[in-house]
Amino acid sequence: MKTQKPRRYGMVIDLDRCTGCGACMTACAAENNVAPGHAKATPRTGLTPMLVQRVSNGGAGADRREVFIPVTCMHCEHETPCVTVCPQQAVELDKATGIVNQMPQRCLGCRYCMTACAYHARYFNWWDPEWPVGMERTLNPGVAVRMRGVVEKCNFCHGRLHEAEDKAAAAGKAEIDPADYRPACVEACATQAIVFGDLNDPASDVRKASRHEDSFRLLARLGTEPKVYYRSKQEWVRGLAERGQQEVRRG
Amino acid sequence: MASSTLIDRRFIARGVERTGTARFAMWLAPWVLLLGVGLYAAYLCLYYGLNQTNMDNRFAFGLWIFLDLSIIALGAGAFFTGFLVYLIKMKELKAVLNSAVVLGFICYSGAMLVLAIDVGQPARAWFTFWHPNTHSMLTEVTFCISCYLVVLSLEYIPMLLKNRKLRQAPSFLAFEHQLHMLVPVLAAVGTLLSFFHQGSLGGLYGVLRGRPFAFREGFSIWPSTFFLFILSAIAVGPSFLALTTRLVEKVTGKALIPDSVYQRLGLISGLLLAFYVAAKSIDTLVWLNVTSPAVGFAPWEHYSYGQFGIWLMAAEIGLFGLVPAGLLLWPKTRASRGWLMTAAALACCGVLLNRFILTVQTLALPTLAFDEFMTYTPNWQEVATFGLVVAYGVILYSLSYRYLPLFPQEKELAGEVIEEGTHVSGR
Amino acid sequence: MFPGVDGFHWTFAHVIFLAIFFAVGMTIVATTVLAIWRAHRDVKTRRVEQLRWHAEFEDLPPAERTCRHELAGRVEHRTCPHAFACGTCPEYSKYAALPTDAPEYAFGMDYPPNRLYHRGHSWVREDEDGLVTVGLDDLASRLVGKPDAVVLPEKGQWLEANGTGWRLRKNGCEMRVMAPIAGEVVETGSPAEGWYLKLRVPPEMRQWRHLLRGGEVPGWLMRELERLQLQLSPEGSAPSLADGGMLVDGLMDQMPKADWDNVMGGTFLQS
Repeated sequence: MKTQKPRRYGMVIDLDRCTGCGACMTACAAENNVAPGHAKATPRTGLTPMLVQRVSNGGAGADRREVFIPVTCMHCEHETPCVTVCPQQAVELDKATGIVNQMPQRCLGCRYCMTACAYHARYFNWWDPEWPVGMERTLNPGVAVRMRGVVEKCNFCHGRLHEAEDKAAAAGKAEIDPADYRPACVEACATQAIVFGDLNDPASDVRKASRHEDSFRLLARLGTEPKVYYRSKQEWVRGLAERGQQEVRRG
Repeated sequence: MASSTLIDRRFIARGVERTGTARFAMWLAPWVLLLGVGLYAAYLCLYYGLNQTNMDNRFAFGLWIFLDLSIIALGAGAFFTGFLVYLIKMKELKAVLNSAVVLGFICYSGAMLVLAIDVGQPARAWFTFWHPNTHSMLTEVTFCISCYLVVLSLEYIPMLLKNRKLRQAPSFLAFEHQLHMLVPVLAAVGTLLSFFHQGSLGGLYGVLRGRPFAFREGFSIWPSTFFLFILSAIAVGPSFLALTTRLVEKVTGKALIPDSVYQRLGLISGLLLAFYVAAKSIDTLVWLNVTSPAVGFAPWEHYSYGQFGIWLMAAEIGLFGLVPAGLLLWPKTRASRGWLMTAAALACCGVLLNRFILTVQTLALPTLAFDEFMTYTPNWQEVATFGLVVAYGVILYSLSYRYLPLFPQEKELAGEVIEEGTHVSGR
Repeated sequence: MFPGVDGFHWTFAHVIFLAIFFAVGMTIVATTVLAIWRAHRDVKTRRVEQLRWHAEFEDLPPAERTCRHELAGRVEHRTCPHAFACGTCPEYSKYAALPTDAPEYAFGMDYPPNRLYHRGHSWVREDEDGLVTVGLDDLASRLVGKPDAVVLPEKGQWLEANGTGWRLRKNGCEMRVMAPIAGEVVETGSPAEGWYLKLRVPPEMRQWRHLLRGGEVPGWLMRELERLQLQLSPEGSAPSLADGGMLVDGLMDQMPKADWDNVMGGTFLQS
């Protein structure tokens, strides 16, 4: 097996560009074989590894401001809460890529990781996945479907990383071409609001964007070192990073 | 009592009085019904999955985890009494030891039962033993509770074999005798295991860095909740024992343990509770002033949502902590049966409230700046499964009381009628 | 968990965790195995009969554990701490030397002075042919009357003192009569013959110190009658057993509604 320098995959989401169209959510579901919601599913029991949330500043009339915030797994790097709590090592932080991986085949469904996650970015399969007849042909062969009773979450489209690695290996190269590995949400975003890449790579766009003065992370003070960044020129939006900085409402 | 109504006479120890078989069956009937409903609910959850509950992605833990934490705390009387009797040599408490073991066995097996329904894939429960994450509090809990349930079973078996009919078999009698000889070893192992898993259950929440309401600093790998849980469990265990024994005395109309044992249980509970209240107050102050602000959460923000006001904390530490501690420590109120039981009940409610706050309030409170405050109401399947454990406990305890020597001093105290009222025949 | 399982690493946490876990597991398993092995040994060596007696003795109410010296009036109050094993009681001689103060009247029952009595209501008589005859004493015989069934040991079987002697059944009540002494069963009798067993007892085992005799017997009978009166009187129809009253024959038939299970358990010292 080839060896490659340790990477730290992360993303920067420009909230000023996000239109809230939801293409990222749809692309995510299609890529990762997320079944259509069960008839009895509610917003609280659905599967949305990528979830666009609508947030307002609470103002009325001309003072009202709104923003769409896509929330996904932040791939926390320091004492990753979900990794440390899982009783049977079904969650791991891949040191080679910085991706927090969920292994549904080892998951017991105890949901302790869900209570540990500050971002509510983990989802439980409350029902068995079911596809309408014929739709099963649209399934992505590169991603295993998950059964009822296990937890899942965003893994930066890990299947695509494997494909890129296979391609590089076939070509005899040690390193993958960054252009070959982009998660589905990044690809689907019409306004190119999401920048993805290796935060360790000094030349990467994602690294530059993450260090921009407008960029911030959600709940960074918890100390878990999330690798998903947000950016906005609007001060009230940047204020959403931490709790208690200003009055906000969900739209 | 006419012996003809005791169809099961041969299974009941000589010299103890038990109610007629028909009356006993009538007492069990409603509990069996509740058990049946609970079993049906459990079947629904196991067969159709956890979509049968009202839990969701935010309330990933619900009523059941509250139940588990609560009954394991209340069941702490089992290991702690064993510890006091066999390791501290407090012989007086032998009067309640058997009852404590049965209660412990019920609490722990009940908790295991509910945990098996609560996980999404129960058939994978053994994965924790095969691929344990040694950094997870839940791993420690799983290992310790499984081992301790085996220990409790080994402590329960000698009692079971002391049944009048079973002890007729020579091999049972010999095994009972030999196992009983080794019980101090089991008590020591039980103490070690209980110490860790009671703590780890607290640690379960204390380590949640992502939930500033629950997160606590601590010593080494253990957050402060680890120690607080041990302390609260052993403080409440004796109270729960006193309360249940008193309840059995009321139901059966018989004196089962001498008053001095009640006094002793009350005093132990009171001392530990006072110590706990002090530790919990210090912990709360440190958390409000240091731990929580350090991660960007204003101290009082946690108490500004819905019903979860500051009164909840006041009730937990004051009404259900300081008050019972005072009542149990002041000799006058401790000497009064009524006050002693009131204090024991308050202490038990206190531990329930503490577990409720930690399990439910933690999940209800928002973390992200744009999060909502959420509540959840358990549905009938969850409540019925809760009822399943309660019914299972009452039935197993009733059977144990009827057929096994739970209270060694029962015969000696047989003449004493507990109240001034008539001598009701016991069940 | 185990070295070799996918994902296992030897870290400090693993070593500590596994060490504690395996130590606990081994202790639990060892305890269980030890208890099973010892129990197996007890059953094989028939020590279980002794264990049973000691367990039963522990469960006896204090009134049924009265020391023989109290029965004889040599001491005000004393409860036996040694399971009636007067042969090994360190304080036996001290009390035995005291003067006796007990009734000499056997309440109209037949307690010949040439017999020794076991607290479980069996008697022992040394015969001239060297054998030892064992029977049910008068009080127990009067209670039971004619038993529905008698289960006697096989000839050649070895009986342990305080172990099971024989069994009686009457009106659905199962009774186990304890063997008063150890010995080999040579011959078996019946209620009609007035005796149940003839035992061959090796000379070195002919120690009868634990059996009641002489002035101890009336004191014991008095307490037993008191117990019977206490346990039978709530029935209302009970004949008076007060001083001077005679215990009728076949009381179990006379008072079918009494709690005989409890009464006979007390008579034969078992739960």
